Amino acid sequence: MSIPDYMQCAEDHQTVLVVVQPVGIVPEDEFFRIYKRITSVAQVSIRDSQRNLYIRYRHHYLPENNEWGDFQTHRKVVGLISVTTCGSAKEWPQTSDRFHCQKDVFGATLYDSRLLVFGLQGEIAEQQRTDVAFYPSYDDCPDVEKRVEDFVESIFIVLESKRLDRATDKSGDKIPLLCVPFEKKDFVGLDTDSRHYKKCCQGRMRKHVGDLCLQAGMLQDALVHYHMAVELLRSVNDFLWLGAALEGLCSASVIFHYPGGTAGKASGREPSLARGQGQAADTGKRHRPGAQEVLIDPGALTANGISADTSSEIGRAKNCLGPEDIIEKYKESISYYGKYKNAGVIELEACVKAVRVLAIQKRVMEASEFLQNAVYINLGQLSEEEKIQRYSILSELYHLIGFHRKSAFFKRVAAMQCVAPTIPEPGWRACYKLLLETLPGYSLCLDPKDFSKGSHRGWAAVQVRLLHELVYASRRMGNPGLSVRHLSFLLQTMLDLLSDQEKKEVTQSLENYTSKCPGGMEVLTLPDGLKLPPVPLSKLPIVRSVKLLDLPVSLRPHKQKGLLENNLSSKSPFIYSPIIMHTRGEERTKKIEFRWVQGDVCEVQLMVYNPMPFELRVEHMGLLTSGVEFEALPAALSLPAESGLYPVTLVGVPRTAGNININGYHTSVFGVTSDCLLDGLPSVRTSGCVVEVIPSLPRLQLSTSLPRSAHPLRPSKEELSSSVSVQLFNGETQQLTITLENIGSEDLETLEVTSKTCNTKEKLFGEFLSWDLEEAVSQLPLKPGQSVTLTVNVKVRLDFSGGENLLQDLNDDGISVTGLPISSPLRQVLKPRAETKALGSESSKTDYNHVKTLEAVMTFKYSGGAGKVEGYYRHLSLGVHVDVEPSVFFTRVSTLPATRTRQCHLLLDVFNSTEHELMVSANNNQDLVLHPSECQRPAAGSSRGEPSLYRSMSLVGMNTSHYVLSI
Amino acid sequence: MLTRLKTQVPLFSMNSYTKLGEKLKLSGLSLASTHSHVIRLGRHNSKMAVCIAVIAKENYPLFIRSVPVQNELKFHYTVHTSLDVVEEKISAVGKAMADQRELYLGLLYPTEDYKVYGYVTNSKVKFVIVVDSSNTSLRDNEIRSMFRKLHNSFTDVMCNPFYNPGDTIQSKAFDSIVSAMMVQAS
Repeated sequence: MSIPDYMQCAEDHQTVLVVVQPVGIVPEDEFFRIYKRITSVAQVSIRDSQRNLYIRYRHHYLPENNEWGDFQTHRKVVGLISVTTCGSAKEWPQTSDRFHCQKDVFGATLYDSRLLVFGLQGEIAEQQRTDVAFYPSYDDCPDVEKRVEDFVESIFIVLESKRLDRATDKSGDKIPLLCVPFEKKDFVGLDTDSRHYKKCCQGRMRKHVGDLCLQAGMLQDALVHYHMAVELLRSVNDFLWLGAALEGLCSASVIFHYPGGTAGKASGREPSLARGQGQAADTGKRHRPGAQEVLIDPGALTANGISADTSSEIGRAKNCLGPEDIIEKYKESISYYGKYKNAGVIELEACVKAVRVLAIQKRVMEASEFLQNAVYINLGQLSEEEKIQRYSILSELYHLIGFHRKSAFFKRVAAMQCVAPTIPEPGWRACYKLLLETLPGYSLCLDPKDFSKGSHRGWAAVQVRLLHELVYASRRMGNPGLSVRHLSFLLQTMLDLLSDQEKKEVTQSLENYTSKCPGGMEVLTLPDGLKLPPVPLSKLPIVRSVKLLDLPVSLRPHKQKGLLENNLSSKSPFIYSPIIMHTRGEERTKKIEFRWVQGDVCEVQLMVYNPMPFELRVEHMGLLTSGVEFEALPAALSLPAESGLYPVTLVGVPRTAGNININGYHTSVFGVTSDCLLDGLPSVRTSGCVVEVIPSLPRLQLSTSLPRSAHPLRPSKEELSSSVSVQLFNGETQQLTITLENIGSEDLETLEVTSKTCNTKEKLFGEFLSWDLEEAVSQLPLKPGQSVTLTVNVKVRLDFSGGENLLQDLNDDGISVTGLPISSPLRQVLKPRAETKALGSESSKTDYNHVKTLEAVMTFKYSGGAGKVEGYYRHLSLGVHVDVEPSVFFTRVSTLPATRTRQCHLLLDVFNSTEHELMVSANNNQDLVLHPSECQRPAAGSSRGEPSLYRSMSLVGMNTSHYVLSI
Repeated sequence: MLTRLKTQVPLFSMNSYTKLGEKLKLSGLSLASTHSHVIRLGRHNSKMAVCIAVIAKENYPLFIRSVPVQNELKFHYTVHTSLDVVEEKISAVGKAMADQRELYLGLLYPTEDYKVYGYVTNSKVKFVIVVDSSNTSLRDNEIRSMFRKLHNSFTDVMCNPFYNPGDTIQSKAFDSIVSAMMVQAS
């Protein structure tokens, strides 16, 4: 006996073994269909008695094992059911012969046999035979179960007669010595008359009767017989059989204590038992109805007419072992078996049975000791397949007692055994399957979502190893898709734990595999139904933050005021509420203030870095969005080794209007494409991912006739799309031509132009900027590609009377203003101001001291298309920067007495600093033409009250004039 | 009876368990070529532990060190599987008397080459010491004192305000205590 039956359990001792085999050519699926129907008859209650007969079916059984049938009767094949196909009457004799041949294989031990013939009709089929049943086809055999039940009953009759035979064998005849195959030669030449030998024979027979009683459903009798056998065999030191007797005792006790069985739910071999388990699992020690009756009515057995040789001196209640005792006896029994090298299989099976019992008793530590022992039992040279089977069963048993890590360990060993180098055809598929089953034991789950929570904690070294093995096995299986998936998982989840060298190796092999089978985001389903979820490589590169960018200033849409208020009021019935409507923490879904426009390129900035020790090439990096049709424009990037944070801008164009949600991003790294969703990446910082996309608006491009300004306007709150600068003399007028071109795809329908002067400190006379919009508006609507021009007059008229410092400078040259009472307070006031001005940076050069700056912003509000309907507009702003220089200087002031005492003449020396001719006009309309660099002295009449030094002058040129004002 | 079970092992099934042992040591780089990677420990110099591990409450390793560095993975497997027994022992004792439970768990299980001992602190941090099974000179008391030393050192590590409980232990002091307990690799 060399091949252990690892599925055995203690209650199998009460079963009778029936072999079901095909004869001749029987289609496999048909055979197993019939086999299944036959095995459904696993328990038959015998008429006229309280007893049940349990049947164990096998479709394959080694005749070699049958030889151990005397040792433990449940190993003996007592029934044979053959299934055969027979097409015609001609074949019948041959079929019949074959059946008899098969009977001979187990011949010595068979109690009865049956032949089920399918397909034969006619004369032969009409014969009524007990041992043969004829059916027209595999589909038309309604009474197979009935037949099998009859068959089992006939077996029971034989069993019962044998039991009675042996049990009542009290005659002085010699009791034959039962022995196991390997013992046979030991007894040659032994003194058969010795007391020792006789006792030996008695003990073994007693044990055998115990087995038969157990099979026949007489549990209490079996216990009694076993007890007696133990006594007898112990006295003669017949250890092997003593072990068997003890085991029999244990089995009977287990059957008594655990009517639900110990096989565990997984086996499900016997449906009736499995059903019983469900009920009995929790109730624990609920007794079997039959057994209970025996306890209550000890006379029941004899009343049935079956006289049993049960020694009444041993109390019935004591016969059964307690749960503790069962284990003790199992240990003893196993230690006896261990003395015999040839009983390895028996020992191993006993261990397995004991473990199952312990698992039910929840005595895990002891069970693990039994298993530990089972690991060391030598069964001689095992075939590779047997080794795999052995490791698998060890794994299963460890799983049964809750040692998941041990279980995983042995499963992995079994997996390795499947592909051992000694095997000519390595079973990579089986290896892979077994490896997958070890995953829970190593607390690995192939769903990357489980890993995204916090830092990884587990047995990294062991897990990495297992993943490598999965990769290798799946590759050898010829499924590179699985390899890619597992490698991606390895990279994604174990990245922090890999060394630089390993990172390189893993990525290299990943690239190799993806060249054959690119990795994607689909769920891989294995043949056995296991699903491998996709693994997005969100760590290659690592994204730290996602920020949606507003459109450039000139393209930002604005909402018409009136409509905005309507919107606000519709949100809530309250004008004001202190309750903040949006919930905190929902930052991702928080809506962003700004808006995007349909048809315009929108940007999202990611801060990424490369954790790998080499350059990382990311291809097809694009945005994943929902809510709006979005055309993502993928980018390719190359990140240097272990780069710092690196900004990457991903762009795309929304094609429809609505709320767009930036869900994540898409990458392709090492041939693996991944969709990384931001929901699954808690480490990514974001200020919100939902933004409103409004319908499309036209786009205007602005160009001017004047050069662009180098320096932007100083204190400007709003950003400008562009600005121009120009230098003018005071009073000069310049024309500015502005060309507006529609570069968008929508018609420009409305255009409004406004202007605003920025620095209002200066006193400004007249209009600074003036234009005529009529002509431009008449050209609307403006089709895409067309342009419109607008002429703006820039006119500067400033009051330079505050620039007295120049005057003062000139005075210091010796030009006297003495005797002028109005001048002196002026000087006193102005002097300190000149000093403070000198501190300012702009006045560091005295040349520019007198230059004044005038700034204004022109705003072009425009709208059109669908966006206009929704009430949106865009605006362009143009900054106009004008440096104004004074065109004339009053270099000297003096007075002349006038003819009347209440009047005087004020003499002004006017200097034209321009290169042009200019006209100076005073309030008395005395025009004065000044030529460039000419100095004249006009006399201006002035009244004593308020001297108006300066009214309106048209200045053309640079010269100095004397101007006499009469006061 | 129990001792009988154990002593029977080397007498009876030497052949099979060395075979099994080979399987258990599979740990090379490629699946197929692992058999040549079996590394046998030198049995001459084995006064102390060959592997020491500290395992967090949640059963992941905080610290693991073994002497033959080349075959560290094998010890990872050994210690990992021993956790089954540790958990079982803790839960079994926990039911009986939670307060007066002894920290020392004793022999967890013997493998063909090693004996695995366990110890668990009140905060459920586990210490595992693996010694060579040929090492008969090591008494139970010595193992106990090794664990006690380890526990003291671990307490020191926990007292470090810069140590974040749950992180892997990188303390030099702890390292040197462990090194002192280990067999010096020759």
